[in-house]
Amino acid sequence: MDQSDAANTVKLTVIAGGLREPSSTRLLADRLVTAVAAELERLGDHAETAVVELRPLGHPIMDAMLTGFTRDELESAFASVADADGVIAVTPAFNASFSGLFKSFFDVLPEHTLSDMPVLIGATGGTERHSLVLEHALRPMLTYLHAIVSPRAVYAATSDFGLESGSALAERIVAAAADFSRLLHACGPRARRDVIDEDLASMQELLGGTEQGS
Amino acid sequence: MNSAEACGMQFGIFTVGDVTADPTAGTTPTEAERIQATITIARKAEEVGLDVFATGEHHNPPFVPSSPTTLLGYIAGQTERLLLSTATTLITTNDPVKIAEDFSVLQHVSGGRADVMLGRGNTGPVYPWFGQDIRQAVPLTVEHYGLLRRLWREDVVDWEGKLRSSLQGFTLAPRPLDDVPPFVWHAAIRTPDVAELAAHYGDGFFANHIFWPASHTQSMVELYRRRFAHYGHGTPEQAIVGLGGQVFIRQNSQDAVKEFRPYFDNAPVYGHGPSLEDFTALTPLTVGSPAQVIEKTLGFREYAGDYQRQLFLVDHAGLPLTTVLEQLDILGEEVVPVLRKEFAVGRPAEVPPAPTHQSLLDAHRAGEGPLSHDDHSEAR
Repeated sequence: MDQSDAANTVKLTVIAGGLREPSSTRLLADRLVTAVAAELERLGDHAETAVVELRPLGHPIMDAMLTGFTRDELESAFASVADADGVIAVTPAFNASFSGLFKSFFDVLPEHTLSDMPVLIGATGGTERHSLVLEHALRPMLTYLHAIVSPRAVYAATSDFGLESGSALAERIVAAAADFSRLLHACGPRARRDVIDEDLASMQELLGGTEQGS
Repeated sequence: MNSAEACGMQFGIFTVGDVTADPTAGTTPTEAERIQATITIARKAEEVGLDVFATGEHHNPPFVPSSPTTLLGYIAGQTERLLLSTATTLITTNDPVKIAEDFSVLQHVSGGRADVMLGRGNTGPVYPWFGQDIRQAVPLTVEHYGLLRRLWREDVVDWEGKLRSSLQGFTLAPRPLDDVPPFVWHAAIRTPDVAELAAHYGDGFFANHIFWPASHTQSMVELYRRRFAHYGHGTPEQAIVGLGGQVFIRQNSQDAVKEFRPYFDNAPVYGHGPSLEDFTALTPLTVGSPAQVIEKTLGFREYAGDYQRQLFLVDHAGLPLTTVLEQLDILGEEVVPVLRKEFAVGRPAEVPPAPTHQSLLDAHRAGEGPLSHDDHSEAR
């Protein structure tokens, strides 16, 4: 890790799965980013943020699923996630799980993109009764993808955006952001995993068993 | 192959061999009709002046070509100058001894008009039908291909590997025609390690091309060319590249779009996905006039470099035989002659022509080319 005095830049990519404009999912994502950026500043790091909104990628995601090819805008989204040092992923809760669009994005995201990636998860929903969607759907999926999921996730119900419990949500956001920032700070800059190079290396190793020409 | 030699490129068609309902008529050909149609299409390819016919290999419905050399052997007897190839022959699930035998025989039957395009096969359930395991796909590819090369190049083979029973004193019969093995292409849809394998041996690399944006094909071809040079087979420009393509042609482009759209929208691979317009913009698919097909095809050179073989997919998605034959007429009369002429313009002298049995034989007799080169290093 870089121990120089200059602030380390931490690249954060937000994956926002909200479907409506304005979206409470995006709202939660923005609040998480703001809180994480503030925590990182305190730790001497500097956050640089990119946002991947899934709604405009709906058709490209489905095309990728059906035909295997990725359009440029989806390819850029993949690159933004792959190049990040940390990811904040937020989805609306639909039918006791993440939204289908949110899941579909991860289904077409190239394998290994999230390996060793620190991820902060969040979800929104109509009532707080759906809050365990974070622990039962998002966390297992991201663990399966070999991400390092931050221990504290944030769920925001419609009522959390109201006046009475609003401060409780703010506290949860700050606490989750503090955990995640320490995780990011400890993990440091992340080297993007080059799967193509890994494939080639293993092919070269296999071919090494046979003598090449010249 | 005279016409091909003029510009150094071969043009032809490749078929998946799918039995698909015609979405406009609701009729589905029988397997017998599809196989007979395939033979008619191959004969037509020769008649209209194309150079290559290549068949896929599939072992599950709705596909019919499970035994490519049987089909190609018959077509060899029905044609005189058409080059017969595959797209692809499964190097993983076919036994390399059987591949060596089948293609040796095909070489003799066709008088040196056979080559082979190897692929890995990505249909998991097929592997166990042939006693293999898809998790071993990459090691199987490397080991099987290493053996296949030796079977074609050495008179007596003692061989031991990890994934196939060993061979003691095995001699391939018949030997390859004129002791020159069929030229080998390695085909990939998106896996870069196939490019590495092709480069390692100095074989041809065929990019499927048709399901992916050009940038994918470009990066794989660049990798192959770079590694081809790295392994000492020549300059990057001397590497042997083939590309897939997909066309539907009518004199009037609106007519082409209107007629092809129902086939596109219901096609097994990409139907119900991206629109015809999106797919046309992003992939090599051209649906339009002969001039549009010519323009787009000539554009492939801009990102793949000067290359050797161009194969078009023209007979899938339930297109009726009469339509496919019309497509071949247009390709042969209006498209390919122009492509030959235009691709020849500005083609550097160092770019080799597409390999044929004759060119490999000439190189063999001159004591150069892949044969002597590999015998030296592999017979150890």
